[in-house]
Amino acid sequence: MTRVLPLEDALIRMQRDLKRALAKDPREIRWGMVIDLARCIGCHACTLGCVAENKLPPGVVYRVVLEEEVGHYPMVRRRFVPRPCVHCQNPPCTKVCPVNATYKDEQGVVRVNYYRCIGCRYCLVACPYAARTSDFGERYTNDTPEMPGKLFGRRAAFAGYELRPAAEYGRRWPDRNGGSPFGNARKCHFCLHRLKVGMLPACVTSCIGRATIFGDRTDPDSLLFEALGSPRLFRLKEELGTQPAVYYLK
Amino acid sequence: MHDNRYYKILVGLAAAGLIIGTWGVVNVLLFGKRATALGSYVPWGLWVAVYLFFLGLTAGAFLITILTYVFRVRIFAPIGPLSAFTVLVAITCEVIIISFDLGHFSRVWRFLINPGWTSMIFWMVVFTNAMIIIYALECYFLLRESLVQGAQAEGTPARWLYRLLSFGKTDFTEADRQADHRRVRLLSIISLPVGLIFYGINGAIFAILLNRPIWNGALTPLLFIVTALLSGGALITFLTYIFKVDDALVHYLGHVIRFLLVVFLFLEALQFFVGYRTGMPINRASLDIIAFGPYWWVFWVFHILLGSALPLYLLSFRHESAQAVAAACFLIIITFIAVRLNFVIPDQAVYKLEGLEATFYHWRLRTDQYFPNLNEWLVSLWVFSLGLLAFMLGSKYLPIVSAGKGEAEHVEA
Ligand code: SF4
Ligand code: SF4
Repeated sequence: MTRVLPLEDALIRMQRDLKRALAKDPREIRWGMVIDLARCIGCHACTLGCVAENKLPPGVVYRVVLEEEVGHYPMVRRRFVPRPCVHCQNPPCTKVCPVNATYKDEQGVVRVNYYRCIGCRYCLVACPYAARTSDFGERYTNDTPEMPGKLFGRRAAFAGYELRPAAEYGRRWPDRNGGSPFGNARKCHFCLHRLKVGMLPACVTSCIGRATIFGDRTDPDSLLFEALGSPRLFRLKEELGTQPAVYYLK
Repeated sequence: MHDNRYYKILVGLAAAGLIIGTWGVVNVLLFGKRATALGSYVPWGLWVAVYLFFLGLTAGAFLITILTYVFRVRIFAPIGPLSAFTVLVAITCEVIIISFDLGHFSRVWRFLINPGWTSMIFWMVVFTNAMIIIYALECYFLLRESLVQGAQAEGTPARWLYRLLSFGKTDFTEADRQADHRRVRLLSIISLPVGLIFYGINGAIFAILLNRPIWNGALTPLLFIVTALLSGGALITFLTYIFKVDDALVHYLGHVIRFLLVVFLFLEALQFFVGYRTGMPINRASLDIIAFGPYWWVFWVFHILLGSALPLYLLSFRHESAQAVAAACFLIIITFIAVRLNFVIPDQAVYKLEGLEATFYHWRLRTDQYFPNLNEWLVSLWVFSLGLLAFMLGSKYLPIVSAGKGEAEHVEA
């Protein structure tokens, strides 16, 4: 009888892979991601998981889920393509930064130094995947009315969400009330702050289809490594030579 | 322009523009980029277009000083000081408007301590500074004789300014004059490669980007050089007429402008031809937005009809009349903002991934919703007004027109 159910949840396996990777010399790690389009059901949970994790304000998004129609009637199908920053290994966005605020780190993750970014938005126009957004300082509570005597009003909502610090890049961004990342370019960073403490990225753990596989590309025992060997493998806009570290399975 | 009435009207307009524009400036200073209509898929908008507009205007002095002091076309010498001063004003406006566009202007010092050598914007900053230094010095050496004389003469308006800028010098000998002309010539020679790289680099900021069909390509830097010369040259021609320097000069400049306009239109036609002939949907989509999109009239009415066809007619069939040449140049200048907007926005207005238009709704994540808002227009008005005011005050209190008189004799044949 063919096996229908996996013996263990992919998350457990990835968690083990992560632990193993973190025990290595950090200079040898190369983080990567494979997104299995056959498993994605288009629920957008990863988008929201990411928004909640990074306390993203309105208009800032790191991982969107694109919808495509493939095939011809009557053989049509809807396909969902989650698109984080694909962490190009030959990134066009870092080369254009006039102050080196964005760069690829030794583990292959393209980061933004929020203290350094001058907000010129050159990297936004340079990214062929539209993976960067600018923080214009919008707030969800901008138009929320104040309701005296009620539990939730603008101020309470503001304190409950907008003032909560984001932990991006392992720092606490004290508030987003004028300083960085306000005015900065922002993008997916593979949840480096979570990885540091042994947790998988928020999009991976929130994916109900287990469509997002994350790990160290150089670890031959990892689930990611296995997925990288699939004949269904492809990358977005491969012809541009950006060499993304985020792969897809058709 | 020596007419006091026009002077007062223009200074009044500039002052009114500054006052009205302050509303936008205050909003942007208080609320940052939130006060704009920019988004993440159209992150560069009106201010970048205005920046490019001023960039073009700076090329007037480049054209004139190169022709005069490098190629020794003596006829243009009288407008040397005027054009050098114009470039200083335009480049200052350029720097101001692009500073408004930065998310964190307070971090510009990062350019010094974390230079991104591979970034075209970094080099743009380097060459902008080089241009400012070259033209500030050039302007100074062109004006110095008049400044020293004005500082000594009784009744010079704003004599204190002349004294200040003379740095204590009280007499100006023939040797000084020769030395200053040598310096001006040297600066002009240096400005030839620096200027070409400066305009080229501004084009390269756009040209090097992958996946940007209108911007990407070797033609863009060349197009930038030609457009800069065209708009800058048109401005200088217009000013030459307005300041009544010499109508014959206006006539000669008219020929130069006509030639540049034809070259520019040819390059633009090439861009359209190549773009459409590739047959790539992404290329066609951007070009379609320019020619047939919701703002088609910006292209057809402002740029083609008023900014190209009419000036071309005036420059070709009415070129004997200085007034007609000046009118043609005026049309080219004021419609040039349309050219810049059509360069900056349509490329960004096409989604670079299929499906982006239908996911995660926020108006800052939509390309078709960008139209500059009131704050953006007001800030632009403020910068234009500041430039106009600086120019008017300069033309009144500095010898930028009178210093050019007799200048031709000093240009070695
Ligand atoms: S996807 Fe865009 S932002 Fe991410 S590394 Fe590539 S070019 Fe940079
Ligand atoms: S927006 Fe920030 S990270 Fe992006 S290119 Fe400009 S300075 Fe660099």
